[in-house]
Amino acid sequence: MAVAGLLAGCASSSGVKNPSGIPVTQMRPDEQGFVTGTGVESQDLVAVTDKMAKSILGIPQIANAQGTPRIVLDPVENSTRFPIDKDIFLTRIRAELNTKAHGKVIFLARERMAALERERQMKQAGQVTSSSDPNVVEFKGADFFLTGKLSGLTTRTHTGTSDYILYAFQLVDARTSDIVWEDSAEIKKQGLEDAAYR
Amino acid sequence: MFLCSKFRKPLLRLGFSTLAFLFFAGCATKEPKHALQLTGNVMVDGPNAIEHGPPRDKVLWEYRTAAAAMRQDKFDLAKQYLDDALITLRGIFAPDPNAKKARGYFHAEAKKTFIGEPYERSMAYIYRGILYWMDGEPDNARACFRSAELEDSDTEKHEYAGDWVLPDYLDGLATAKLGGDGMDAFKRAEASAKGVKLPPYNPKANVLIFFEFSPGPTKYGTGEYGEELRFHVLPATVLSCEFTVDGTIYPVAPADDVWYQASTRGGRAMDHILGNKAVFKKTTDVVGNVALIGGATTAIASHDRTAQQVGLGIALAGLVSKAISAATTPEADTRSWDNLPRYVSFANLAVPPGEHVITVQFRDMSGTVLPNLTKTLTVEVLGDGRDKVIFVSDQSLTPQKI
Repeated sequence: MAVAGLLAGCASSSGVKNPSGIPVTQMRPDEQGFVTGTGVESQDLVAVTDKMAKSILGIPQIANAQGTPRIVLDPVENSTRFPIDKDIFLTRIRAELNTKAHGKVIFLARERMAALERERQMKQAGQVTSSSDPNVVEFKGADFFLTGKLSGLTTRTHTGTSDYILYAFQLVDARTSDIVWEDSAEIKKQGLEDAAYR
Repeated sequence: MFLCSKFRKPLLRLGFSTLAFLFFAGCATKEPKHALQLTGNVMVDGPNAIEHGPPRDKVLWEYRTAAAAMRQDKFDLAKQYLDDALITLRGIFAPDPNAKKARGYFHAEAKKTFIGEPYERSMAYIYRGILYWMDGEPDNARACFRSAELEDSDTEKHEYAGDWVLPDYLDGLATAKLGGDGMDAFKRAEASAKGVKLPPYNPKANVLIFFEFSPGPTKYGTGEYGEELRFHVLPATVLSCEFTVDGTIYPVAPADDVWYQASTRGGRAMDHILGNKAVFKKTTDVVGNVALIGGATTAIASHDRTAQQVGLGIALAGLVSKAISAATTPEADTRSWDNLPRYVSFANLAVPPGEHVITVQFRDMSGTVLPNLTKTLTVEVLGDGRDKVIFVSDQSLTPQKI
């Protein structure tokens, strides 16, 4: 009986998994980690933006453009139930295109306009040197807007939570408002919490 | 004398076995000590508990500190704590050894990592949604309001599922402001409001005011072993409020009652587990009593050595059963986000750009103004297309310049 008591008493302490924790593990951003939820995760971001960047490069408006099309990023709308840093999608698409498009497209740094305007004003005032006439406007206009929308559909019952997210991106002609390209990716995840939380 | 010498060795063995059981049973629950000196001031205790307290209570203290920070105009701090808490809340799908333990007979439910009951999770999302809107991100705010509603969607009775009014109403308002059609969400909010007519959306409204008042619900355990989770709320100190802008008075009634949301959730899966634990505790206790009394009586009353040994064996088994019963922990987890409000509400209006003074007055059950709770806010409306989002609690600091 004493032995049984001893074993029963110590069973739970020896059964604790990872009693010393788990050291930081470096992972690829496109691989699923051991800490997961049903929301937007890095592997989704990588998969979606890789697909979009490849898709954009193939369209005739970019592949066969006479000049170099200039693109402005227009913030993505998040219509899911997951608050996210929306800029991260367009930032990665832009980085992918800048890396792989070999100058086929140029992105305009509209989010830096305040700093750019300040610099121009300093040049105009002669406070800093200028390699061209600062009074001539050289800020370029956009040929296309790259934007997108994240939409979600969620189901939650006693059997678990299911989240479907549609990642849709568009390239809009700035002159005509034509949607010259659109592509999407879909990811669905399901999970069930421990009964202790239900 | 005969009995004493005759039973000395078996009794010693019995005592030793029981002590050994209790000693080793005790080692199973041993964990690092997190001695906290609580001052009663959440803004002091919260950061201290988050840093030095048990990791399983971290989210609880993050919730409490975030709510207190909101009332002290420390919105960046609230954001920081809520973001960290929501990471834990969203990642709860991963296997959690503490949750597994909490389901076991010999660990209390309170050993699990706290994420709160659905009403607490919903409130965490509502607060975070308000903060996103303050930062000019109505779509991320809407995401939070949708998650708030979802946290309430797994109720025992379907009629109480996803029946928060404010999150649905704000979901629709955000959608309308983003150029979409928010009427689906508006209709859901109206259905949850049960006959109360909600104001139609005004996409031109540029000042959004969130209100909260009265102390919210806390938890307690009832049942023989405290295994049944229940919710308690103090009588409402504030039942409504009104605010004045540019000489116009706007009345505000509660949109949601947090206590109602807490108490209509119904049974949890964990309640069944705790119920089983309670039955196990009771059964082992009764079996222990019967075996202890029966065995000891047999051992004492009998003159036959074999019968005495059998009696002692039964008594020993009874003692072990009692020890197992004592070690069983069916108590419900009563850790509460104890600085939640009872009522939350909302108002929005269009005001011209410039400085405006907003006065908020709170009224008690009888409709009497509580002058010590009156808040004065000086608000600068910029007219840059962004909404001015204001958060007012009956516990807020006053005056405030926003």
